[in-house]
Amino acid sequence: MASKLIYLIFAIVVLMAGILIAIWLAEPVANSAGMAHPIIPGMQVGGDGGARLAHIGTLAFLFQSLLLLLIVCLSALGVAEHRRTTELAAYLGGTFLFSLLAWWQMYSGHQAYMESGSTGYFMGFPVATAWQVYGTWLGAIPLIVIYSLGFRKFIFTLEDEAKFDQLMARQAEQMEP
Amino acid sequence: MEAYRQEIIVGAVAVYMIFCVLTGLWAMKRTKNSSDFFIAGRSLGPIVVSLALFSSTLSGFGFVGGPGLVYSIGVSAFWMVVISSSGYALGFFLVAKRIRMIAELRNCISLPDIVAARYNSEAVRFLIAVTIVLGVMGYLATQILAMAVVMQAIMSGTVMFADIGLLACVVISSAVLIFYCVTGGIIASVYTDVVQGAIMMIAGCLILFTAMSVFDGGIQEATSIILADDTESMMPFGAAGIMASLGWFFVFGLGLAGQPHLVTKMMMNKNISDNRRILPMSLFGYIMAALLWISIGVIMRAAVIDGVVPALTLPDDAASVFLSFFTNPLLAGIVFAGLFAAIMSTSDAFLNIGTAAIIHDIPKAIRGHSIKNELFWARIVTVLLAIVAASFALYSHYKDATLVAILGAFGWATFAASIFPVLAIGLNWKGATAMGAITAIVAALLINFVVQLAGLVLPYGISGGLVSFVTSLVLFIGVSLITQRPELAADMEAVLDI
Repeated sequence: MASKLIYLIFAIVVLMAGILIAIWLAEPVANSAGMAHPIIPGMQVGGDGGARLAHIGTLAFLFQSLLLLLIVCLSALGVAEHRRTTELAAYLGGTFLFSLLAWWQMYSGHQAYMESGSTGYFMGFPVATAWQVYGTWLGAIPLIVIYSLGFRKFIFTLEDEAKFDQLMARQAEQMEP
Repeated sequence: MEAYRQEIIVGAVAVYMIFCVLTGLWAMKRTKNSSDFFIAGRSLGPIVVSLALFSSTLSGFGFVGGPGLVYSIGVSAFWMVVISSSGYALGFFLVAKRIRMIAELRNCISLPDIVAARYNSEAVRFLIAVTIVLGVMGYLATQILAMAVVMQAIMSGTVMFADIGLLACVVISSAVLIFYCVTGGIIASVYTDVVQGAIMMIAGCLILFTAMSVFDGGIQEATSIILADDTESMMPFGAAGIMASLGWFFVFGLGLAGQPHLVTKMMMNKNISDNRRILPMSLFGYIMAALLWISIGVIMRAAVIDGVVPALTLPDDAASVFLSFFTNPLLAGIVFAGLFAAIMSTSDAFLNIGTAAIIHDIPKAIRGHSIKNELFWARIVTVLLAIVAASFALYSHYKDATLVAILGAFGWATFAASIFPVLAIGLNWKGATAMGAITAIVAALLINFVVQLAGLVLPYGISGGLVSFVTSLVLFIGVSLITQRPELAADMEAVLDI
């Protein structure tokens, strides 16, 4: 199972490439990447958010969801194959679900704002943007915790350290005249 | 105090530059060979590596271009910042442990050394070295130009230096940079990075508190003003739209593990186990410093819309106008010193890896061995590289910006697309082949070059960097899967098993 991880990563990036092509070929929308502010030079505005997402919203949502999955899969790839345990999979799975939740809250919050024209605020930002700022930042904190607190369990165990020391010692012996 | 604003700012920057020169002199005594010059003899502690890593990540762009981008396109620019936690995590999961092990095992002093050892291929070494040299020229030229423009702006405000020219500013700032890089190599670089990182963190924190006090209702009042002006700019995808935003998330997040000036720092720590402390410390430092980026951009956009501040001539003026309108001179002095710190900490890292590519890797790839007396030539080439980059910067400013713009295309996205698959995936997957690596690097370079030269504008704000990155990932894994699995050297096999 563990050795198939690279195939999963490959499938994800191929799907992302396909989505990118589909977005490229989607019906174009004027000013989809912003336009000049009507009064203030040097400033851009976004304009009609609904129109910009009309043809690509779902594709873009899928693209980002796959990217979040790619991040946890790549993190798993960075752990030696024999240490990719069920426990690690559970932690990484939880990280993915939390990131996905933040992404969904952000996306659906934006949709809700476009429909209603009003929004609440959380710590200085409109709610959807607060999910982007705080949710995205915090969404990957579990990865930092897994790496730092799980360092001796998943990343570089005492056994790994001993193996590496032996490797260095063997090399030093070979280098001696 | 207000009457001496410019003098205080110039004084703060001067103190910082004198510190850099003294650090160079101190580090010279500790630099005895090319390993000391390029990777500090793998002897650095976790705090030094953490601060060096995050301060090199946040270049002058973070202090000038970043706030300007938030001012210009709103929340779209946040995506480059909020991805930092995922980006640092991936960099450590995928690269930090194995790059450090291979560096010690094979006595590597540069990133091309690492990939040559991993793939047993001089062609891969050559391509990575060439990519680094091209990228370094573009990055260095823009950093030196930014340094000189800011220096001219602050010095010309004083009576004594009212007429100072851009050329003089390029010479002064480059001379300080060259001095400490040549005398102390990477040791001077990382120890100046420590102070540079500390200044950037303090500046970011102080600026956040200042920004919160500009409007009575704090940040929320500022964001409400922006939202009332345009329904999209303060929403999650900003003015630039969803694909531009997600593209930055992809390129800046995954791409961090493909930045040569950052991953090279991961070869320098004394103990591999220090990585568990370096990761959270680097991220904490980056977030503190990045507060400046977001808060200045938001406040300046709201202040201009609200008529508190006149419209900016250029978006990149956001930080300097904020400092002159809303901060006291002492804080402005600290932030300007922080700005120079941000530019110099990135520039010294680029000078170092560019020099290594020229005197160590390209000769090794072509002739099979590096040049004799590497330390001497490293110092000579560092000077020459900085002079050529400074000349590019001046030529770009006065004559034609095309060349630097093209070299600038070899920035973050090109490094990400060409180096990430080869390094970050290659160090963790035994099936990665040299053919896969070569295909991915060439495709990444070609796509970025074509998009830049042809001036292609893709629909929905899709960036050329995103296209090249996704393509290189697909090609790297795809070509590796269909080419013959390589026979790895025994020591490399052992490292990939750990």
